[in-house]
Amino acid sequence: MLEFRQVYKAYTTPQGPLEVLRGVDLTLEAGQSLALMGESGSGKSTLLHLAAGLDLPDSGEVRLGSQAISTLGEPERARLRRERLGLVFQQFHLVPSLSVIDNLRLQARLAGVEKSAWSRELIERLGLAGLEGRYPEQLSGGQQQRLAIGRALAPRPSLLLADEPTGNLDEGSADAILALLLELVRDTGCALLMVTHSPRIAAPLDRRLVLSHARLTSSQQAAQEATS
Amino acid sequence: MATPLATLLATLLSHYRRHPGQLAMLLLGLWVASALWSGVQAINASAKESYARAEALFTTSLDRLERLDGAPLTRDDYLALRRQGLPVSPLLEGELTAPDGTQLTLIGIDPLTLPGDSAFATANNTGELTGFLTPPWQTRIAPDTLPALGLALDEAPGATPPLETGRLPPLFLAPSLPPHTLVMDIAAAARLLESGATLSRLVSAPGALEVAPAGLTLTRSTRLVSPGQLTQSFHLNLTALALLALIVGLFIVQAALGLALEQRLEMLRTLRALGVSGRTLVAGLALELLLFGVIGALAGIAGGVWLARALLPDVAATLGSLYGAGVGVELRLPWHYWLGGLAVTLGGLLLAGTGVLWRAARLSVLDLGRAQAWRTGYQRQLRRTTLAGCLVALSGLALWTWLSRQPAGEGLAAGFALMAAMLLLGALWLPPLLAVALAGLARLARRRPLAQWALADLQLQLPRLSLSLMALLIALSASLGVNSMVGGFRLTFLEWLDQRLVADLYLDPPAERFDAVHAWLDERAEVDERLATRNGESTLLAVKSDSGERPLALPVSLFGLTPGNHLTPTWPLLETHQDVTTAWASLREGAAFINEQLAIAEGLAPGDRLDLASPRGRETLHVAAIYPDYGNPRGEVLMTADELGRRFAASADSIGIVLTHGADAEALAAALAREFALGRDALRDQAEVKRIATGIFERTFTITRALNALTLAVAALALLASLLAQARERRRRLAPMWALGVPRGRLLRVQLAQLGGAALAVGLVAVPLGIAITWGLVAVINVAAFGWRLPLHLFPGEIALTLATAVVVALLAATLPALRLWRTPPRALLAEEQAS
Repeated sequence: MLEFRQVYKAYTTPQGPLEVLRGVDLTLEAGQSLALMGESGSGKSTLLHLAAGLDLPDSGEVRLGSQAISTLGEPERARLRRERLGLVFQQFHLVPSLSVIDNLRLQARLAGVEKSAWSRELIERLGLAGLEGRYPEQLSGGQQQRLAIGRALAPRPSLLLADEPTGNLDEGSADAILALLLELVRDTGCALLMVTHSPRIAAPLDRRLVLSHARLTSSQQAAQEATS
Repeated sequence: MATPLATLLATLLSHYRRHPGQLAMLLLGLWVASALWSGVQAINASAKESYARAEALFTTSLDRLERLDGAPLTRDDYLALRRQGLPVSPLLEGELTAPDGTQLTLIGIDPLTLPGDSAFATANNTGELTGFLTPPWQTRIAPDTLPALGLALDEAPGATPPLETGRLPPLFLAPSLPPHTLVMDIAAAARLLESGATLSRLVSAPGALEVAPAGLTLTRSTRLVSPGQLTQSFHLNLTALALLALIVGLFIVQAALGLALEQRLEMLRTLRALGVSGRTLVAGLALELLLFGVIGALAGIAGGVWLARALLPDVAATLGSLYGAGVGVELRLPWHYWLGGLAVTLGGLLLAGTGVLWRAARLSVLDLGRAQAWRTGYQRQLRRTTLAGCLVALSGLALWTWLSRQPAGEGLAAGFALMAAMLLLGALWLPPLLAVALAGLARLARRRPLAQWALADLQLQLPRLSLSLMALLIALSASLGVNSMVGGFRLTFLEWLDQRLVADLYLDPPAERFDAVHAWLDERAEVDERLATRNGESTLLAVKSDSGERPLALPVSLFGLTPGNHLTPTWPLLETHQDVTTAWASLREGAAFINEQLAIAEGLAPGDRLDLASPRGRETLHVAAIYPDYGNPRGEVLMTADELGRRFAASADSIGIVLTHGADAEALAAALAREFALGRDALRDQAEVKRIATGIFERTFTITRALNALTLAVAALALLASLLAQARERRRRLAPMWALGVPRGRLLRVQLAQLGGAALAVGLVAVPLGIAITWGLVAVINVAAFGWRLPLHLFPGEIALTLATAVVVALLAATLPALRLWRTPPRALLAEEQAS
């Protein structure tokens, strides 16, 4: 499904080049969920942006299925995002001027794949029934994040990319949202790559990797390195 | 199912559903800009259509023959020339008064000999020639002249409305004729005008006569000035004002678009993240602009037509009084007017929206969730505007250098470009100036925390307010410039009237009784002095100066006055060969004065000599002085009335009567009327003449004042719109101050002081800029457009009014957001702050 092959990425800073990813290899199969952990500034979001085609690697290859994202032009990458990816952000990034239902259907409509029954089901399962006519600012933080998840899943993407999706929520809301997210991911059969700094949030996912010093390691290996 | 592009457009537009104020501001800006532009263009188009009709007739497109001795041509002259085989055609022209008082121009022609390429002759070929030539004849008339005759369109064909001298021949509609013009066979016209065998002139096809026949003077059509040419500068002035209003309106549009973009940056980045490509996003925004543009342009054109209808009667009166150009008061708009209005609005919108599209195209999706870069980029923007201002200043300087090397009266378009450069320079340098001033003040206010906060807060507001403050600066400067020019013109004009109108009464006796009246007045004890005038026409054949002789063939007016003891001390002279006393002495001895228009147009100076065509042949006159002659579009040569009568056989015009101290003007007027059976119109007192002249003057500037006031109103709207648009964010910024213990009333006063102070600063910049604009108008534009120079007058009251207007406009604009703040409960302020 998603594959990183020897991906390098560095940023230019006043202090010189800052290497964020150094020869990263990563594979994520369809239906699998993966938690990507690491400290702030470790490059988790960069990796997510590369997976979404929002940014390009300096070298190496990022593939989604049979397509090498890193070789696509901007319009093709936009199309890929629209039709095959779902994105959930920590800050929700809902469109404040669209109602709940219009926000939920937005990406599916942009991709031209909107299914009313699926949208209806998502509204019900996300606990947003009766709130369709409201605007994002009239929802609680948890409701806004549920709506963001619904928007990402409405076009039935093959890969869901979530950047700290519970980072802005209290513990109770975070657990509930995560459970719902995993349930929906399972039901739709899409893969999930979630960035989080919390081991507790990462725990229920199929795999956990840690990004540290620009390299990916398994969580056990990372723990051993930390102990030693 | 909605298409992706429709979804994108609906998503973009949904922003305005939540922010209807921004949409209103955007559409208002477009509407106002488009309405003012379209209104003036409608006036221009309508007037030009009238000129085109007049020019298509035969007044300016044919060569003209008149007698060298100034005597009227007769039918015998015409027949003699035809017998010689010369291709000339007779023309009779006169005035008739319609029942509603409108002056109608009656033109009599001979369609059989009229040169075939004139529009009227061509129109005749379509038929009706027999009806036109033979009794009861026909009156050709444009439909827009019918109201003057009290006729509706459907009852006009065949009607024979009565006039003072008889009934008109049956009417025949001819839409191509100019307004208030009647055309008929010369025989029918002669009967109505009671002109006997007299002709006004003979015409011939351009170039058909190589030389003037003996005893006649030939004026080539290329030397005749058409109404279109005469009024070109007037319409250019109007267009410049309308362009100013369009630009100020577009400032609102750009402010609204910039604000909408800023508030939608996150939405746009989200859309990019959701898979909308950069190109599609720009296409969506462009489509949105197009939609607004079409709505704004249609509303603007409708508003413009309404505005033009309201202003056209004044404009028509102005053009009539200034240039003698007949302009219909009914709007007649060609098809390209509508397309032009749409194109200019859409073009302006595209110009205003280019920045938005450019920013959207360069939008980095990786900035999602990061703080908006609007303010961080402002310093860079300030540096850029300063640099752009420097470039404009250099261009203006180059333009000024070029203009100063041109002969006086040249460079109208360059003059307007120079003024535009001045305004642009002021607008571009305003934000950096304000930023520097605020930073300096903030340093001074270090020990006063609230003042320091207020200044820092104003610095934060500057990026959003700068566009509307720039618009305010342009509107204020233009207003001060134009009002000072009009005020100066008014002052000069009234002073000039006072100087020229020294007689207590002005009498227009019938020509045949002129000498008798003159002699009768000589015997009256209550008459101190009689100031007889004469007038005539001639052709300036050559100019002789120290640099040699220059041949010309320029039609000029001749004016003769009586250099009496009351007139000469006050009559204004701009330039004399030696001194004023010598100049008048020279005039009495046969020299001439010329008006400023003629001096500037032909580069003449006192000391030069003029060769003029006269009944006695060629008359040479020495130029002793140049005098101001405001409002006269033509070159004029002035000499004593006696000399004019003797050397040019000019006809008597009027007699100014200066009364002895304490004389009864009414008794004299009554005696005159009794003695010579004069009508009420023949005698006017000085006050009435001044009232009429002043009335014409005031009307001339009605449209200027209207456009000026509207432009200022637009600038006020721009400021209001900017303030409303940022009102919510302002409240959020004020909430912590309230929480820190600053009372709401004080916060309100601080807000008003911030904006009032900023506007006052704009006003202070507008004063020197406005003075520069006044100078440009009187020293460059006026000379190039009208041929005469005005003295530069500065009015402290006008300057104070500019400053007061700036502050009042700002306070008015700030009132609504301030009222909202006043009504918002303090807790709500904090809630808004927490929600942000």
